[in-house]
Amino acid sequence: MKKIRNITRRDVFLAVLPVLSILMAIGLWLLVSSGEDHIIPTPGEVYERAVRLFEKPINHVSLWGHIWASVKRVLIGLFFACVTGIPFGLLIGWNKTCRSVLKPLFDLIRPIPALAWIPLMTLWFGIGETSKIALIYMGTLRPVLVNTYAGVSMTPQINIDVARVFGASQFQVVKDIVMPSTLSAILAGIKTALGTGWIVVLAAEMISANTGLGFMIIRGSNVADLALVIFAMLIIGIVGALLSAVLTFLERKLCPWKTVIN
Amino acid sequence: MERKIKVKVEDLCKSFGDLKVLEDCNFHIYDGEFVCVVGPTGCGKTTFLNMLSNLLEPTSGRVLIDGEKASPQKHNLSFIFQEPSAFPWLTVEKNIAYGLRAKNKDEGYIKEQTDRIIDLMGLEKYRKAYPGELSTSAEQKIVIGRAFAMDPDLLLMDEPYGQMDVKTRFYLQDEVIRIWKEYQKTVVFITHNIEEAVYLAERVLILTNKPARVKEDVPIHLPHPRDINDPEFVRIRNYITEQIKWW
Repeated sequence: MKKIRNITRRDVFLAVLPVLSILMAIGLWLLVSSGEDHIIPTPGEVYERAVRLFEKPINHVSLWGHIWASVKRVLIGLFFACVTGIPFGLLIGWNKTCRSVLKPLFDLIRPIPALAWIPLMTLWFGIGETSKIALIYMGTLRPVLVNTYAGVSMTPQINIDVARVFGASQFQVVKDIVMPSTLSAILAGIKTALGTGWIVVLAAEMISANTGLGFMIIRGSNVADLALVIFAMLIIGIVGALLSAVLTFLERKLCPWKTVIN
Repeated sequence: MERKIKVKVEDLCKSFGDLKVLEDCNFHIYDGEFVCVVGPTGCGKTTFLNMLSNLLEPTSGRVLIDGEKASPQKHNLSFIFQEPSAFPWLTVEKNIAYGLRAKNKDEGYIKEQTDRIIDLMGLEKYRKAYPGELSTSAEQKIVIGRAFAMDPDLLLMDEPYGQMDVKTRFYLQDEVIRIWKEYQKTVVFITHNIEEAVYLAERVLILTNKPARVKEDVPIHLPHPRDINDPEFVRIRNYITEQIKWW
């Protein structure tokens, strides 16, 4: 009665492929950087620069300090986006009156890229932490809210009907049916928001900051230290991938039924 | 012995705009009775069931359970839909317990009732499994178990085996009869399959074409499990078919 799936050779092959693709990218990097015109530092040069970074931190802040500065900004912005975006998404997804009133306003604001808010945020909140976090909030709110709303709209009517026949109250229907049914979509929205938050934080740090990975890139660019730029870019990639992995882990824990089906 | 009337339907009418779907439906169902409803395709069988379950409000008329207006808050209603309706995010045992939790029943009672149903349905091995891990027939067993766990005043089944292959259908028909005999609940089962109706029901209600009314009420006194080749079975099946074909 239970569906059981064995691990096949193809599964092993598919698991090895990501490692191969990373090795190929490094090979390509070696090939391009070994040219005479030297358009990009070699992996060895980037490694040496990384070692020097530990000896002599930039702006008296360690590498971990820069990473944490960027991650902290993204997480705070994302936290506020979740705290407001999820209830708002639930509201416009579930309540027809709220949808009629609020969705047109949101649809109007939605297409505006987060970076277009930079002048207003700077004017309102200055060039400190608040404006950067507000900017990240603007960027991350959209995917969280849109996914929550879409998740609510896609809740199977049959599941709602079952709950109603059992005499569930409106609150119970939202809590027991709509929320779990939407959870996976919300987490997918948070994952997308994390990517957007990462883009926005780097842009914000490039404009004005004393710490953060975006700041490291701009510092490298200003003094033509391409090895530092590449290293900062690699760190951005690694941290982004790690955060995404954490979310995937969280999704498996929170939505175990999705994992077993897959 | 006089049987107690559990469900009474009085002058039930339903219209969608100018379209009359049900007209003056009057009938009653005895406590613990298994009633099948058959009728021509598109005659409004599902609308009929949706009103008994309160998913739709009637245009006029009323449905009474134990003399009171039927309400999901007041009565224990259960509905088994044609499509799979187990909650994918709940394990088998939590699915079965869902209706009882929605009614805020005592945790001890919920556990006792859930264990009993799991045992009765042979789902012990899959207690902690999610519906997505199981076959369609096992998923429908969860739904049947969840419905009976409610100790329902009225159990409504809307062509629950409509999308299943013949083997699964026969298997689940016997399962539902077994669990109904165990719990002696009042069941209204809609089907377009006349053989299925004669196989299951103590009484078959035949609906007319739209706007649907109860055309005839056919009692079936054959004992369960029934033999589909029994001459009396065949006679009743042919009779009901003729009544539907009349239109």
